[in-house]
Amino acid sequence: MGFFETILFPFKWVVSWIMWIFHEGFVFLGMDAASGWTWTLSIIGLVIVIRAALIPVFVKQIKAQRGMQSLQPDLKKLQQKYKGKTDQLSRQAMTQEQMALYKKHGTNPFAACLPMLIQMPFFFALFQVLNGVSKASANGQDIGALSSKAIQQFDEATILGAPLSSSLLHGGGGDGQVAVVILSIVMILAMTASQFITQKQIMSKNMSEEALASPFMKQQKMMLYVLPLVFGVGGINFPIGVLIYWTTTNLWTMGQQFFVIRRMPTPGSPAAKAMAERRARKGLPMVPLLGEPKGETPVEVAAAPKGQRPQPQRKNRKRK
Amino acid sequence: MRDSGSHPLRALIAVAHFLWNLPRTVLIGLLIAYRKVVSPLYGQVCRFFPSCSAYALEAVTVHGAVKGSWLAFRRLIRCHPWNGGGVDHVPEGHRIWDTKKVPRIIVLNHPVIPADEDSRSAA
Repeated sequence: MGFFETILFPFKWVVSWIMWIFHEGFVFLGMDAASGWTWTLSIIGLVIVIRAALIPVFVKQIKAQRGMQSLQPDLKKLQQKYKGKTDQLSRQAMTQEQMALYKKHGTNPFAACLPMLIQMPFFFALFQVLNGVSKASANGQDIGALSSKAIQQFDEATILGAPLSSSLLHGGGGDGQVAVVILSIVMILAMTASQFITQKQIMSKNMSEEALASPFMKQQKMMLYVLPLVFGVGGINFPIGVLIYWTTTNLWTMGQQFFVIRRMPTPGSPAAKAMAERRARKGLPMVPLLGEPKGETPVEVAAAPKGQRPQPQRKNRKRK
Repeated sequence: MRDSGSHPLRALIAVAHFLWNLPRTVLIGLLIAYRKVVSPLYGQVCRFFPSCSAYALEAVTVHGAVKGSWLAFRRLIRCHPWNGGGVDHVPEGHRIWDTKKVPRIIVLNHPVIPADEDSRSAA
């Protein structure tokens, strides 16, 4: 076993296990064990398990991003200090001071590297499972929790005529290669579209004005144009099964974002205003938003100044 | 190295040096490629300064492939949402660099912090 196989081995095992459980579950519910749809749903089940496990990480990150308001004055001072200093070393110095500031205030807006990297081996493990299916099926081998019989079914599984283990560039589709090409292109487009929608939603609706003006926005905007390229290159190289995984993950991200914008928008963003208006129309008071400074629920500030901490900077958004 | 033919021992030492440093050189190359190609895709993600990839690059440069990888791995494990992040430098190594040949990553990871405006005006 090579270096990568050794690292991927446990992930491959977990991936095959989760898929096996879902597959057995769907068969138990009356689906055909050899059907491509059963296997497709198993892959979607894998996405749901991984993304659901990452929800606490996501919530934690939102909370931290919302907690940024308390350190706005300090951040402004820092930006003032480095104003006009655009050389790389000054930028580095500024980043260092910024990080020290986040640490001091106990709030950090960045997602952290581990949750990002931990998704990669799962992705590659699924890739390896799907790539190895044809060979394992021919040799009558099993992969992780998937028995040789299940592997054989998996290898022969097709969705809309396209085998799950075939890809646009590397073929393997046989008679269904046309279906492989069409399905790959549709999924590349779906991924690109969901990525665009997610990003546009965040930027146009769920960002406060300070966040929109920050230098990190430039990078965010760059991603908007680089990621579709990545989807395109990956999309024609990866097997259909991996594309199903990838597309589902992207759709999940989009759905998660929709939920956040509708139900827990950033204080001070257009989405928060929209929510306040929606609630006002129904005659409901605005709820305190995640990350809003404490003791400052909009209704109370206006009505009852009973010994509350004086925090005069924010106005009641609901009253117009 | 032009006269290495006349000094087989020196050539041998050079080859040994090259081989000894090979794992480090390969890792440095991979890390630089990652920082150039993959990092920009994600934008700023890391909760630390220097970022995990910058930390890994410095650690491997300063401490070599084995200890450097170990340090980088430990940093990566620390970089999760429940860690406050902040400034976290690579531990110092024993090697002393020629002032003109200090690797770029070390310079970038240890920027000189200018004094605050307040203290300057007060002084």
